[in-house]
Amino acid sequence: MNVKLSRRVLLQGILATTTALATMRAFPVMAQQAGGTLTVGLTYELDTMNTYSTGFLADAQHTVIEGLIAPDKDARYVPVLAKEVPTLDNGGIVLSEDRSKMTITYKLQENVKWHDGAPFTSADVKFTWEAVKDPAFIAESKDGTQDIDSIDLPDDYTVVCNYNTVKPNFASTLFTFGIMPKHLLEGTDLNTSSYNETPVGTGPFKVAEFVRGQYVVLDKNTDYWQTAESGDALPYIDRLVFRIVTDSNTLITQLQSGELDMAVSVPYGRASQLEGVEGLEIVVGPQLSWGHLDFNFRNPILADGTVRKAVAHAINRETLIRVQGGFPTPIKSLVLPIFDLYDDATPEYAYDPAAANAMLDDAGYTKGGDGIREKDGDRLSFAFVVQSGRADDENVQQVIIAQLKEIGIEATADNKTGVAYREARYSGGYDLIYGRWITSADPVYSIFYGTEGENNGQGYSNPELDEVFARLENTLDQDVRKAAASEMQRIIAEDLPAIALTGGVSVIAKPVELKNFVPNPTNMTNFVDTKEWYLES
Amino acid sequence: MSLGYAIRRLLGAIPLLLGISVILFVIIQLAPGGPLDIYAENPSVSKEALAQIAARYGLDQPVPVQYFLWLKAILVGDWGYSIRTGRPVLDEIVLRLGPTLQLGGLAMVISLLIAVPVGIISAARRGSKLDGTVTVLSFAGISTPVFWLALLLQLLFSVQLGWLPSAGYQSIGDGSFVDRLRHIIMPTAVLSLATVASWSRFIRSGMIDVLNQDYIRTAYAKGRSEKAVLFVHALRNAMIPAVTVIAVDFVTIISGAVITETVFAWPGIGRLFMESMDGRDYPMLMGLMMMGSLAIVVANIVADLCYAALDPRIRYD
Repeated sequence: MNVKLSRRVLLQGILATTTALATMRAFPVMAQQAGGTLTVGLTYELDTMNTYSTGFLADAQHTVIEGLIAPDKDARYVPVLAKEVPTLDNGGIVLSEDRSKMTITYKLQENVKWHDGAPFTSADVKFTWEAVKDPAFIAESKDGTQDIDSIDLPDDYTVVCNYNTVKPNFASTLFTFGIMPKHLLEGTDLNTSSYNETPVGTGPFKVAEFVRGQYVVLDKNTDYWQTAESGDALPYIDRLVFRIVTDSNTLITQLQSGELDMAVSVPYGRASQLEGVEGLEIVVGPQLSWGHLDFNFRNPILADGTVRKAVAHAINRETLIRVQGGFPTPIKSLVLPIFDLYDDATPEYAYDPAAANAMLDDAGYTKGGDGIREKDGDRLSFAFVVQSGRADDENVQQVIIAQLKEIGIEATADNKTGVAYREARYSGGYDLIYGRWITSADPVYSIFYGTEGENNGQGYSNPELDEVFARLENTLDQDVRKAAASEMQRIIAEDLPAIALTGGVSVIAKPVELKNFVPNPTNMTNFVDTKEWYLES
Repeated sequence: MSLGYAIRRLLGAIPLLLGISVILFVIIQLAPGGPLDIYAENPSVSKEALAQIAARYGLDQPVPVQYFLWLKAILVGDWGYSIRTGRPVLDEIVLRLGPTLQLGGLAMVISLLIAVPVGIISAARRGSKLDGTVTVLSFAGISTPVFWLALLLQLLFSVQLGWLPSAGYQSIGDGSFVDRLRHIIMPTAVLSLATVASWSRFIRSGMIDVLNQDYIRTAYAKGRSEKAVLFVHALRNAMIPAVTVIAVDFVTIISGAVITETVFAWPGIGRLFMESMDGRDYPMLMGLMMMGSLAIVVANIVADLCYAALDPRIRYD
């Protein structure tokens, strides 16, 4: 049972998928079969089917509800309900004379129908903006609503959004999450509407049944507006079922027994248990997440750059990766290599405990009888927080604690769960904190490391960096953005408010017969584009 | 007579429940974080939006004011709305109560059917090999971690043999009696194990105390059969201490067996409690905990009434 999942097997999995994809592209007429049911395990308690109010990533929701555009497998935006992704080049984005505002025009697909048969029009897009913006509606995300002053609808298939600012990441907000049907929801209370159980969308699947605490059943939309290049009706799969299985042991058991066909977030440490299960294969997909160790600058010892740099020199990323099943990849920049803005010239403090020890010696921190350094009564002893119950994070924490001990720094686990963890993270209730951020296809970094950043619980403030953020986040000029992003990566890597450690991957268990499945690395989940998936019998 | 007693006891419990509600309200508020934290994790929710949400749920009021608003509502039967799902608290509880009562009720019945005879026999044959075996098994049962036993059963019956579904309440599109029965077998077995083990111990020790009494010797001397002595003369008295334990365990079971429900993906009260706890869903938590408190009060009254039924010397006027 407990066979180590070798890299070779994984590689075969990846290769098999890529080969399958390559074959598909080479022979587009190869028969794609319609039919079948795919049962997927969800590891969280589904709260609502509304993409705007769910507290989780909307796996099931994205098969039902479509946005104007969506990120693809490379985290690049592609059109869905819009005919093209608006850019400066295609005239979809127009800047004001003083370059302080922008107007975005979406041209909509004209043959789209809601699941109830009503036509999808520009009025639905405007309604979605108004509904999400409405203060009475309790949304998980209202991102982007405040940046739009007004929306004009010249005709049924044109939407003109007048922004009050220049927002390079507009694509990862509002209309990408999904469009809501005006004809069904206008005048209703969205907080209590039945839309939250059985949303009506334009997507390839319709909600057949949602039973709280158990499952949601999604049936093929036989009247879906898109067809395959071959002329086939889409989607191919008849029925998608998401079963709520919150216990990770049970999730693995159900995959082994065949009660579940698929799971998209298999814990790294559990993947080996699925090796050799008949009919199942493991696919390792990229994920826009990064593991990071943050320092609390309210602690005067950590506000001293020497200690932060010594910590950076003390950490061996290879070991961190090994305790996470060998899955993550080492990173040196907060910007993941998949992004255009990534700069490979970003400097890093490489693993070098001798250098770390020398730095601390020079700074006057001497080792006491217990091997822990101190200077003038300041002991290098820190409270170290991770989210308890997350096995991968706790393993990483233990490795870091051991590695810091090597250079005479004591870190003591002070783990917290759920809300208490978040409370600590936002108010700086820690000295060191390890965690992961999962982001959209174009993340905004000032929220983490800007002086006023809403996720900056570290008390970190660097005016030079704030100025770089201002340049990076208020222009659509790709050259300016790239230069600013490089500068941002350099400053963060040198000043070290946080150490970027590993880039995440998602471990997906899927049936061998599921074809055309392509992992999606963004927070729009692997289910953002299910229409071409099919089950080979 | 006993009906009047029960009503008096229930009325007497009102101040108690009021006191409990104050304590619960304060304890829930003392836990770090709050319901709005699920929004705090999302960097794009503005402070103004948060303030609006807080106002909608009355979370911007001082805690005592919040409590009196809650109390005022609950007195007219308004349990409030879940912050996580936006649905009425009572609807959510009723939805989850059914599966929990089925699982808990079945586990209770099975536990009684096994624990009572096992307890009696091992008391009557005290010191025998049978008694020794039962004792060892009982302690093994009490000490077995629930999640571990669940995992073993799942691996055996679902993965290896493929006889039973490993988790869930019913198959999708089925939900027939047989289908539900297949789903409830393993969680019931897991839930029953610890109660069977502990209840049989209580019944055994109760029986041993009673079997040493003079009136039992008298019964034997009169020539009554062992069966009649054990079941007619001894059992009623031996059950009195066990009733207390069973009543308390009953409340625990219907308050939702958190681990069993989670491992077996059972859509019951225990899991609802966990998810409400994770989201700091204050109205939901108050509803669930008040429901639990009420169950304890009722179970205690029922236990007291059982004493009277079992022991004619006990009278409530």
